[in-house]
Amino acid sequence: MNTITPRPWLAAYGQDIAPGLPAPTHRSLADLVAQTCEAFGKRPAFTCVVPNGMNGTLRFSQVSSMSDAFASFLRHHCGLQPGARVAVQMPNGLGYPVAAFGVFKAGGVLVNTNPLYTPSEMIHQFNDSGTEVLVICDMFTDKLAEVIPQTGIRHVVLAGVPEFFPRIPETIVRGVQKVWSRTLPPVPPLEVPVLRIRDALKIGRGLPRVTDWDQIGPDDLALLQYTGGTTGVAKGAMLTHGNILANLEQVKAMGGRHMSGQDCVLTALPLYHIFAFTANLMTFFALGARNILVPSPRPVQNIQRALENYPVTWVTGVNTLFNGLMNEEWFAAYPPKTLKAAIAGGTALHHAVAERWQKITGTRVAEGYGLTETAPLVSFNPLDQDVRIGSIGVPVPGTDVALVDDQAEPVERGKPGELIVKGPQVMRGYWNRPDETEKTLQNGWVFTGDVAIMDDDGFLTIVDRKKDMVLVSGFNVYPNEVEDCLSKLDSVLEAAVIGIPDKGTGEAVRAYVVQNPDVPEQVTKEDVIAHCRKHLAAYKVPKSVLLRDDLPKSPIGKILRKDLKAEARAEFAKGA
Amino acid sequence: MLTELETTLLGIMMMVIMLGMGASMTPRDFRIAFRKPKGIMVGLLSQFAVMPFLGFLLAIGLGLPPALVVGLLLIACMPGGTTSNIFAYFSKGVLALSIMMTTVSTLVAVVMVPVLLSFYGGMAGVSGDYAIPPGNVAQILVVLLVPTLLGMVLRKLNPNVGATIELIGSFMGIVVILFLIASWVPRNYQLLLDTGPTIYAATIGIGLIGMLFGYWVARGLGQDTNRSRTISLETGIQNGPLAVLVITLTFTGVMQQEVLLIPVLYSLFIVLSSTAITLWYRRNATREALARDAAKLGAG
Repeated sequence: MNTITPRPWLAAYGQDIAPGLPAPTHRSLADLVAQTCEAFGKRPAFTCVVPNGMNGTLRFSQVSSMSDAFASFLRHHCGLQPGARVAVQMPNGLGYPVAAFGVFKAGGVLVNTNPLYTPSEMIHQFNDSGTEVLVICDMFTDKLAEVIPQTGIRHVVLAGVPEFFPRIPETIVRGVQKVWSRTLPPVPPLEVPVLRIRDALKIGRGLPRVTDWDQIGPDDLALLQYTGGTTGVAKGAMLTHGNILANLEQVKAMGGRHMSGQDCVLTALPLYHIFAFTANLMTFFALGARNILVPSPRPVQNIQRALENYPVTWVTGVNTLFNGLMNEEWFAAYPPKTLKAAIAGGTALHHAVAERWQKITGTRVAEGYGLTETAPLVSFNPLDQDVRIGSIGVPVPGTDVALVDDQAEPVERGKPGELIVKGPQVMRGYWNRPDETEKTLQNGWVFTGDVAIMDDDGFLTIVDRKKDMVLVSGFNVYPNEVEDCLSKLDSVLEAAVIGIPDKGTGEAVRAYVVQNPDVPEQVTKEDVIAHCRKHLAAYKVPKSVLLRDDLPKSPIGKILRKDLKAEARAEFAKGA
Repeated sequence: MLTELETTLLGIMMMVIMLGMGASMTPRDFRIAFRKPKGIMVGLLSQFAVMPFLGFLLAIGLGLPPALVVGLLLIACMPGGTTSNIFAYFSKGVLALSIMMTTVSTLVAVVMVPVLLSFYGGMAGVSGDYAIPPGNVAQILVVLLVPTLLGMVLRKLNPNVGATIELIGSFMGIVVILFLIASWVPRNYQLLLDTGPTIYAATIGIGLIGMLFGYWVARGLGQDTNRSRTISLETGIQNGPLAVLVITLTFTGVMQQEVLLIPVLYSLFIVLSSTAITLWYRRNATREALARDAAKLGAG
């Protein structure tokens, strides 16, 4: 579809947001990193905090010289050509920005990789992307013996969680990892050279500085961001320097008046995920703000010292993180006084969670929406007005959205339709997958697979994933709505809803609920059903309720309905 | 007896332990703990009501001579030891509760230990040279609170320094016990051989019975099994090295050797008995967790 849609949401921008998107101020991410570091010099850029409070900090000037050295290492020592792929596979830590920025400066393409991937997932991703150099956290080297021989990787660089901490805390954390928690496996003998990142930097410092990144332009590839884990095999979304830079301007356009270089942002979501990558690593960094990196937010207790010891003003999170924090006494009783606002994304933010957050912290949690294919931000709640809880806000400047039916025709205002998106943040396509690209990307529009409604002011509300919809006797049931209702029960910590086959109604609603440990009374099937009967139409009420200890989750804490569906499929295949 | 150098070393090591204890928490942890003070109150009750009374009963029941009575009573009246936190961790207990109980009982000890000691000491007929002047204990404890506070301040100023000190402090707990073994046992080899089984029973018993009562007092006052296990360990594990320090600073010569017997033996044996109990608690904790799982799965 090519019709130019009117932008009914522009009125909602108000005084705060300019309707036009300014052109990116930089030609590439390498350029942005270099200039940002130059501008903020001695100020702290990244601080990594482990659960016992031990920490290390890199200043902007250090980030600059270290990423320079890493770029030289990649280019001159590893022989990396511009456009070649480098995978970075580590939890949040000081090694991450050094490696990622080094890759950009060397003209390489960053392949963000989940550190918890199994060897077969790693092999797929490294081969699919054609990765040549791998930077991996030293906690996961046991997988290398199997992975490396089956890929084209030529160099391996190791970085630890306490990397670049002061020497004593680094030694202690490493000692604890090695002796106590036994999470530092020995490096297996490999055919390819393996170096620690400190040594790589030492080598890089002795080599000529890479300066040709002024050749990199906005149309050059910056990231292969793998996605689609929810539907079969992962594929790499091709995001250009221009995509990320545009999205960075879009984030700043929406929230810039409330964000500054004085801010301190809690980065508990993994940087290898596009949400934290663009919002925390790039946008807050570019503003001169300080990132507080938490290597693992699970258990959520791990965040306590980070929140206590630093004047955190912004938090980016997902529903489960906000929920988890509020269920910790240390957080609920003494929320950080410095907090200004929180950004929610990744997955639907439940009403009950958003309202409780605002009550406990006295600050707003603004929900945004995005996807890997759009680098990621598509829409956000304007911060100068009351946050509309439940809405994903309005499209960000420079972005067009439309809601369409199965024939890709626009639906009536107020009716649900598949959300499609066009804008400067939209990816170039999927790496080496023209067929997949064609399915998702049509005439510059990304088909998101999410069903949404737009109100008269242009505010969008996600109803659900198109493919997660449950069809009960011909009625559409959107799992989000039922989950939202379930999460209002005090005794329920979290919930997930899927469809299961049903003889009478075709499909029926099944709910998985997790007991809230802070509430003494045990949640029962009867409570859940009675509660839903009160608040939902009869066909939306779960027919089956299962109590679980926890729910399957993605690395950023998104509840994985597909795992529950697979479980249910197996169950019914057996039972039938 | 311990030489002056050894006594000084012991004092320094205690300082380091207390510094580490202070560094293990922040002022906010304190505030949070006192929002729901019941667990700590229950812990204090078993620490300062149950334990001293048990010590007294054991001392009387076994008919111990005054030197040993003093040693036993002193151990019974001591606040919780910092090693209890390590055992709480390994037993899958409530670590925050353990740390808080150790700290709070150490603070309260400034007043409670002198009071309890003179009360039970008087009841047991300890008098004259064997009586520990209440001022001594209070003084030592107050002096030790200084590094505790310093630890907290350091933690606040520099989390890296704080967490490092915390770690050194918990290792020091073990070092002190090794130090006692090395410095005291060889010189008192004969004394250990001459010591009758009742004395061994008393030193091992005070810890184990303390744990038993600690558990049931906590259960009786409505604490769940996991918290009760933590309180149990906390009750039974006393600050043995602190008792040793008090004695070395109060007595000299042969008298010191005698009075030291029970606290030193206690410090050695409590490590062994706590390890055994911890393994047992850990198994119970795991079993309970599995049982909870099973109960939930059935509810589908």
